[in-house]
Amino acid sequence: MRKEVLGLGSLAVLGTSFLLGCSQNQVPDKDKGILEIRANGEDFVREGFVSKDGWKITFDKLYVNLAEVTAYQITSSYDAETGGQPQATETVLLVPEKTVDLAEGDETAAPILVAKVQATAGRYNALSWKMPTATEGPAAGYSLVAIATATKDGLTIPFTLKIDEELQFTCGDFVGDDRKGILPPGGKADLEATFHFDHLFGDGEAPPEDEINTGALGFAPLAALAENGKLEADSNTLQQILSPGEYKQFQGLLSSLGHVGEGHCHDSLMVHRQGQ
Amino acid sequence: MNGKLILTLMFICLGGWQERAIAHGANIEYKTAPAIEIQATYDSGTPMANAQVVVYAPDDPNNPWQKGTTDEKGNFRFIPDESKSGYWEVKVRQAGHGGIVTIAVDSLNATGNQQSASQSKLGNQQTTEANTILARASNDNKMPQKLVAIASVVWGFIGTALFFYRLKNYHQNTDKPARQL
Repeated sequence: MRKEVLGLGSLAVLGTSFLLGCSQNQVPDKDKGILEIRANGEDFVREGFVSKDGWKITFDKLYVNLAEVTAYQITSSYDAETGGQPQATETVLLVPEKTVDLAEGDETAAPILVAKVQATAGRYNALSWKMPTATEGPAAGYSLVAIATATKDGLTIPFTLKIDEELQFTCGDFVGDDRKGILPPGGKADLEATFHFDHLFGDGEAPPEDEINTGALGFAPLAALAENGKLEADSNTLQQILSPGEYKQFQGLLSSLGHVGEGHCHDSLMVHRQGQ
Repeated sequence: MNGKLILTLMFICLGGWQERAIAHGANIEYKTAPAIEIQATYDSGTPMANAQVVVYAPDDPNNPWQKGTTDEKGNFRFIPDESKSGYWEVKVRQAGHGGIVTIAVDSLNATGNQQSASQSKLGNQQTTEANTILARASNDNKMPQKLVAIASVVWGFIGTALFFYRLKNYHQNTDKPARQL
């Protein structure tokens, strides 16, 4: 009898402990939530666009290698003009390194989900990321690979650009229709790294005198480099073929790709090629 | 004596009512209130004229507190709620460009001077402070109602005085001690 009581009691204690342990694992931390990070090439990449010099550009693949994607909670606002490291009260590493295809999906595709992590609740109003050269995957050896087609006046030029300049962007709060990064306890929020490829080629739907066009390279300089109806070039090739002024302009435009919605970022560009 | 009492009561009520009649004239009040003015420009220095503006209050960064547009010079002005101290945010957007500026509002004292702790840039944006005078005016000219009200009060005092007069005469005529009220 005594043994039976002891046995039943032990079972009861074990069972209760087991249930308590499981329940604690299932109940989420009330001070945390799920923070998502997305990469967005906008409609320019998903649907294609017309460059400032009339070339219709559509992307088959647009790989960007993202690293050290970090979100910050800062007390005021980040000044992208001045730059510097955000003075954050909370920091969360969202993505150590990952290559994503901004052209994934069809014209109606949502911005690419890069990662989702559990993070402390609060306002994440600053974001930074790097674009180093990838060590593996579809963009191995490069920070950005574009596989696309340009068409104008019946002429079609398939082209591939492989960029090995390493970029870094530090940005403030997302600027768009909605607010992002406001993470409630037990809830969900998202952040977005936006890429403005119209800065590189211009926008044929904007006036020629618009700043988006006056500063863009367009596609014509690249079209002139095509051989046998196609173009395959990496950064080294572009530097050799483009004029020094055009290549410097190209590098400057690479630095302007990163945004948070319409919000600007502080950018930097590094080149690790031999002879640079 | 009773007639004098009646006249005295009428004088008092008319005099008091006259003071209230003066209060129904035009009344203009004002107070100074601190305003925040932003100026939004593109990197080229061109003003962001007629750009979309959204203001967010410190206690609700998710929902717009006020919406508007900049003027031809890229300026926009608003008066923050004095009861909401903290970081006010102003978002300006136009033609695919935009930015957010955070303005710290610690407290607003009685004279309307704003104590701001920090400011940030939106392109070449500048944040300035200005004092704004708000004026309110009231005017009540409903004369017929006033006359009826005056007449009613006067008649009330007359009636009360006549009641006590009659009561006094009654007790005098019956030689009975006045009833203690």
